[in-house]
Parts: sequence; C-alpha cells; structure tokens
Amino acid sequence: MGEAQPKASRANMEGRPERSEGGLTAPRIRALGLRTGWGSGAAALPPARGQDARAAAGGRAVISLGRPDLAGDRFRRATRESLWALAAVAAMLEDGRADRGEIAGDGTALLFATAAVYGASNRAFIQGTGGGTHFAYTAPAVVSAEAAIEFGLRGPSVLFIGGPPATLRAIWYAATLLASGSCRRALVLAVETFEECADLYARARRRSAPPLVEAAACLWLEPGDGRLALRTDRGRRPGAADAARRRGDTMGEMMACAPLAEMARRRHEGHPDPLGLSGAWRGEGADLSITKGDG
Amino acid sequence: MRPERVAVLAAGVTTPIGQDLDAFWSSLLTGASGISTIERFPVGDLRVGRGGEIKKLTRVKRWDRVPDCRATRLLVSAADELLAHAPLHASGVAPARVAVVVGTALGGVEEGERALAGEGPRRRLRGALYDAPGDNLARWLGARGPVLTVSTACASGATALGIGADMLRQGQADLVVAGGYDILCRFVMRGFDALRSLTRDEVRPFDRRRSGLLLGEAAALVLLSREADAPRERLGYVRGHASTGDGAHISAPDPAGRGLELAARQALAEADCSPDDVQFVSAHGTATPLNDRIETAVLKRLLGSRAPEVPVNSIKPTMGHTMGAAATLEAIMCLLAGRYGQVPPTRHLEEPDPECDLDYVPGSPRALRPRLSISTSLGFGGCNGALVLESA
Repeated sequence: MGEAQPKASRANMEGRPERSEGGLTAPRIRALGLRTGWGSGAAALPPARGQDARAAAGGRAVISLGRPDLAGDRFRRATRESLWALAAVAAMLEDGRADRGEIAGDGTALLFATAAVYGASNRAFIQGTGGGTHFAYTAPAVVSAEAAIEFGLRGPSVLFIGGPPATLRAIWYAATLLASGSCRRALVLAVETFEECADLYARARRRSAPPLVEAAACLWLEPGDGRLALRTDRGRRPGAADAARRRGDTMGEMMACAPLAEMARRRHEGHPDPLGLSGAWRGEGADLSITKGDG
Repeated sequence: MRPERVAVLAAGVTTPIGQDLDAFWSSLLTGASGISTIERFPVGDLRVGRGGEIKKLTRVKRWDRVPDCRATRLLVSAADELLAHAPLHASGVAPARVAVVVGTALGGVEEGERALAGEGPRRRLRGALYDAPGDNLARWLGARGPVLTVSTACASGATALGIGADMLRQGQADLVVAGGYDILCRFVMRGFDALRSLTRDEVRPFDRRRSGLLLGEAAALVLLSREADAPRERLGYVRGHASTGDGAHISAPDPAGRGLELAARQALAEADCSPDDVQFVSAHGTATPLNDRIETAVLKRLLGSRAPEVPVNSIKPTMGHTMGAAATLEAIMCLLAGRYGQVPPTRHLEEPDPECDLDYVPGSPRALRPRLSISTSLGFGGCNGALVLESA
C-alpha cells in the first residue's frame, strides 16, 4: 500500500495510550508557508507591537488575497479558495526548500482547518450561479482535495471546522497520527476567504471589529521528540481569548489561519522554543504548547 | 501491543425509519421504508423529489430552548434518546470533561439559505456556519469540554467516532458524545439532482440495475468512554478508525479504491486485528454504479480468499443516504447486529451485478452475531472512512 506504516505504536510500554497530562510526542516543524491579504509570508504581517490592523486596513472591511496566478486548464473551474489551498502548499514547499515529490504519496497526512472557507461556494450555489459541477465545490472537503490531487497527497485526511481551536486540534491530531506511525509527515492546511460574502459579514459583525484578512497557510510537521499538550474548554481560558483578541487587533481576523500566521510571525522574529499558541472560538478557549525535546 | 478499546455506552438516533433505537432496528429488520415524497420544501422543479424525510420530530416535546434550526433539532432529538439511555449527570463526570464531536457534510447550510432569502433575524447567518449545530448541541447537553465539528463529507460520521475515541485515549476528555447528522434541504437536493446522482427507481446497492442513490436526513450519536472507566452496560467498542483522502478527483472516488483500502487497513491495524478477524462488513453501498464496484473490489483485496464468506450489507435503501449521519448509523447497526444476533438485509437487491459478487445479505435478515465488524464510508473530495467495531 505504499509508504504509510500501520498504526502499531499507539500505545506506550505499559500498553496504555499516552495522556494529555504529560502530552503527546511533539512533531518537529519542517516548514510553514503563509499567504495573507497583507502579502507574502510573515514579513508582510503588521508588526506585533505596532500598527493596529484597523488602521492598516485603511477602512477596508476585508483584506483580500485576490486570485492566485495559477496557469493550466485543470484550474479553470477551480474556486479561488481551492487555488489558495494549492498556493499555501506551494509556499510551504518553498519555505522548506523541498520538492513536491517529497510530500507525494500515502505517507503524508493532510489535516485541513477552516471556519468559513465554504461560504463563497455555498452562497454562489444557493443564489443559483453554480451548476452541478460547482455543487461539488460547496463541500469543504473539496478545497483540501484540490491540494491533495495537485500534490499527490493520499494519506490520512480529516477536516476540522471552526476557528483557531480547530487549527490547534488539527495540529494535535497530526501529532497523534505521527506518534502512531499512521503517516511519516503531516500537513496542517488552513484557508479562509471572505470577499464573496463581505456584505454578509458586514451585516453580522460589529462595526468596531478588526478587518477580515484572507489567508492560506500550510504547516509541515515531521516526527519529533518534544512534548505537545493541548488544553481546551469553554469559558475557562480567558487568557486564550485575550491572546486571540490581541492577535486580531494586530493582524486582523484570520479565523482558522490565525494560529499558523502567529506561528509564522514568531518564527520570523526568531522566537525560541517552547512554542505556545492560543485560540478562542464560540466561547471555547484552547492553548497548545510544544516544548523542544532533548534531541 | 493492543491499543485501548473505547466503549460505546449508549446510542441515540433520529431517522426516517424511527426516532429511537428500537424503532430504527425493527425497521431495518422488517424492511419498513423511510422513503417518501419530500414535503418540507418545494421539489417540483427537480428530477427526483423523493428522499428519506422525517415528517415530524416526535420525541422532543418542547423546543423553546433550542434554536430554530432543523440540523440542531435533529441532533437534540438524537441526544434526548442518548441521555435517556445514559444520563450524563449520573456518570459523575464533570461537564468540563465531556466533549462533543460531530460530523457533517452540510452543517447549518439551510440557515444560510433562509438568511439569503431574507427569512428571520440577521443572526441566522451565524447559524449557517458548519460548526453551529454542533455548538448548539454542546450547549443543550451542558457539555463544557472540547467541541469539534469534523467534515469528511459523507464519511463524517465515521471520522467523528474515530476522533472522539482518540480524544479519550489521549485524555482530552472523560466522556465523548460523538456522531453525525445532516438534513434534507433545497441546497443538497438541488446539488445531487444537478449531478444526476439521484435515482427514480428504488435504491438497489450491488444490483446490476442500480441507478443511483436517494438522500435522507438523520442524526445519530453515541456516548463513548475509555473502557477502564466504563460501566458494565455497553453496546460495544470502537476498536479502530482511519480517515484518508484519495487525492484523485473532487467528487468521484478513486477507481482503484486505494484510499478506501488504506483506511480499512489502517483501522484494522489500530484495532490490532487482521482482516481474518472481520465477521461482517457494513458497506457504504450507495447504489451508484462506481461506488459499489469499487467497494466490492476493495473488500476482495482486503479480505482475500474469505471475501465471499463474509456478509456485507447496505442499509441505505431503507432511509436514503443520510450523509454525515450515515456512518454513525451504520456503526450503531453493526453493534446492534452483535447484540441481537441478526444482520439486516440489503433491500432491493434482486439481480446481482456480476462485478459485485460478494454475499450482500439479500432478501431477509441473516441470523448471525458478528463480534468484529468493519464499516466503510466514502465521500466528496475523495474522503474515505473506516471503523472497526466490536460487539459487547
């Protein structure tokens, strides 16, 4: 069946699975690609302690990514959001100075996180501008499927729907798959687009809310030797909500892409381990920590 | 080394063939049909206007604390039965240690349809997000642990049970309410109608005359616990799970079925089982020409020389393809088969397709008490799911 290994090592020496109190074996970050409405990579993000995202937006409610410049007949019908999924994986390969052949095959897991990427396609179909072919694109799974088809990713695959905690959960699941030997590497992909539904967001959001910033990011994880812990619950992690609010104030609202953008910024600024990421969504706070191993 | 089994303590269902486990199970055995002309929204402009529609939600009497969202109400109805079998407050588990993991192909999309049609307040738009019904369910349950919505299209109900089991194994929660749901609405009926996937005939999995599927709506939930923490009364166990992607086509399955085979093999490996241990297969069995052929070929490769002896069924003819709920319902069916010693038949399979030459349990229920079952699922985006289930 190719290079994927059977799940053989899910239990520890006592035959019992590892529990979150001690955490999972943390993966190693191999590469991270980021494209946002602010520009390419972490360098384009507004500074962490600088300009307010609202001011940087200059009155725009949505900071759009536009449409990526991908040539080829295969992409003729593809939606903007699925093309950004491809672009995020390509950016990740560029960051890791890797060839696409390194990630092809059934040894690569693809975990996709998004809160609202399906909005544009769903709206188009509801309002009658899409036909049978377009209907398939209303499924969030098709956004990541386009990346899987393009890069030959044929391993474990799960979609987590929600804001930043969904992305942190996807990283946790990537660590679970890597620790169990279900894959050799895991990609955590997040894409959010808002432009096609900007009027709907304007109706539903507060006027004072930070701008919506379109983004696409992909994180490449490989087996590591540190520790990963994820703690989540509803209403009891005010620190996570505060951190998310501060991040929104500086970078804008990127929903599921926010933790990966934060990670990219910290790497860009040369922050050492341990890495801590927070997120909040629908009253649920989440804190993910990755501590470096001895190796 | 054998991984920890995750116990299924109880289940709750809301389906077109019954709004509790007893009615669901009895309808599967007797062949009662949940297929009818859809009445809740206009279908006159569609080629096919039939499906597994739930005409009236009968279980919950008061909806005043539940949002006016059909997907949420199906979930709450299923949860109401789940709690009747296994009250959360009696478990002694703190609400912060109770997680909710639901799978869906459509989420709250009907709320988006209604909002765009100008129906109701503008907050209705928030309900259009795919994770809104799962969040509503967690609030109704009073669960304060992690709340996840997963969406692997029509394999979502398998993925939700698998992720829920992983969360327990990793100590992320002490109880997990896991399952799947989806509703019939204009959006999905128009979509499948445009794809010409819906049949005007009966749904006939593995039959040479099969001509497509019918859609249905349902919610199905199970209560999961680590085996070591579980009370004695159980429905069974989730032994293994895997969800994979084909990386082949956005809406059609990989003709070689490689992703489905990988999912099945990884799920068996997680369960520390061999294909030789499998006694029963609940197939996705949509009755589309491609799906049934691919599934058959994958099962032959997986089960080898035993393939002709292992019973395989599809319960989709009785209530339609319930999308995000389907794999959870099929998992529950596997566990009930083990409990009651009967395997429900594949309805409307009368003229076997020469390319589909396994034992699909045609006609009537089979007296069999499967201890170990595997349930397979496929979905848009090349999604595949496999669950390995063990009866109590």
